[in-house]
Amino acid sequence: MTKQTFLHDKHIALNAKMVDFAGWHMPVQYSSIIEEHKTVRENVGLFDVSHMGELIVYGDDACPYLNKLVPQDITKLVDRKAVYCQLTNKQGGIIDDLIIYKLEDKKYLVIANAARIDEDLNWMVRNQRGFNVNIINESHNYSLLAVQGPKAKDLMAKMGIENLPTFFTIKRAELCNVNLWISRTGYTGEDGVEILVKNEFSELLWDKILEYGKEFDIKPIGLGARDTLRLEAALHLYGNDLDENTTPVEAGLSWSIPKNKLDDYNGRTVIENQLTNGAPKKLIGIVMLDRGIARHEYDVYYNNEKVGTVTSGGISPVRNENIALAYVKSLPEITIDSIVQVDIRGKMHNAKVVKKPFVKKNNKG
Amino acid sequence: MSENMLCSKTHEYLQGENGKYTVGLTDYAVEQLGDVVFVELPEVGAEFKKNEVFATVESVKAASEIYMPISGTVTEVNEDIVTTPELLNEDPHEKGWLIKIESSADDTEFADLMDYTDYREELV
Repeated sequence: MTKQTFLHDKHIALNAKMVDFAGWHMPVQYSSIIEEHKTVRENVGLFDVSHMGELIVYGDDACPYLNKLVPQDITKLVDRKAVYCQLTNKQGGIIDDLIIYKLEDKKYLVIANAARIDEDLNWMVRNQRGFNVNIINESHNYSLLAVQGPKAKDLMAKMGIENLPTFFTIKRAELCNVNLWISRTGYTGEDGVEILVKNEFSELLWDKILEYGKEFDIKPIGLGARDTLRLEAALHLYGNDLDENTTPVEAGLSWSIPKNKLDDYNGRTVIENQLTNGAPKKLIGIVMLDRGIARHEYDVYYNNEKVGTVTSGGISPVRNENIALAYVKSLPEITIDSIVQVDIRGKMHNAKVVKKPFVKKNNKG
Repeated sequence: MSENMLCSKTHEYLQGENGKYTVGLTDYAVEQLGDVVFVELPEVGAEFKKNEVFATVESVKAASEIYMPISGTVTEVNEDIVTTPELLNEDPHEKGWLIKIESSADDTEFADLMDYTDYREELV
């Protein structure tokens, strides 16, 4: 049975093209993916991301418990601050990538990928022994709206929230007389906020944001543009670029692994070994030089040898080029400006390794 | 133009007569694809059997293979859609054609093709 968010009727009324995604019936596009993409880069867009999971972790041991689950140092989180991190298994593989918010002392909000909520909960419960902690899955009670783009801040000000939380923090706020959580986070590489609200208020907020957003040329944005936006920003998609056989080091996420963390965490031995001695594969960004689009699971070659696989690929509307993320063997000679080949339907196509992200991020407010 | 058009279940159309035809993608197919961003066409002179893949059309989301509605030899390809793939979205039945072919296909190859009205009805 495909699930529907509380905004499903809104998407249908807007004539969205709907698809099944992670067990949810979601809008993939309202008008055109490229138009929606540009709207978020130039103005502001509204996303329904209510399929995402919300878990509340609380109790006396909430902090040491979460600290065991992720490489990030949760003890360093102050109230209302958030971190991007990974739920790792004993081998350092990524079960899910998460944002953890410290709501208050001994109480945390965990935002999880829709398709991974069950696996996450399973793993979290298995790691619960010895910790005085409670885990509540609140996913079915909350809707999540993302307002993203350079004009998001002005739109929120217009709606009465003058003082937005700073980058990667969250606060309580009131919008159209509705109490909610608002955080300065997103998945587009642009400035913007994510709004966590009880389901019964989501339709009201959706309508009000679109109404107030008119003067900022707001558009509703589907999952199609969400994917092209995050790819341009080189933000990982779980299931494509991250999985249980890939470590945060291999995924280029070493920046999210503090080296001097005191507590042990799942997968630490493997992860620290890779940090010191190198990992067998690495994630690279490529731009196609020959005409063609590199897609998920296409093979990558270097010097006539198969060295890896594309995990995400598509077009970059901003660069007007075709871009991709690929895992390749950690050969030192494959570096920025190296030329590799992508096998597209049996023909080799040249591509150049470039710095990630593919476009400059403007998400620090 | 859609009056004398024959359509396949895989959403290609065929227009023309006396062994000379234009092959393209139906408006319905193009609408389903969304923004077309890349088109790969065969060489002039290439020969294809009925139902063989002769082109690839990529939208933002995915690559789709395009099948020959009947057998034939490519006599012309639409270079305009290679440089301007959005023509396919704007005008699939006219400016957005894919290839022209010469064909000596017999009636059996036409048996499963539908006229445009039947094709549209089949979809609903």
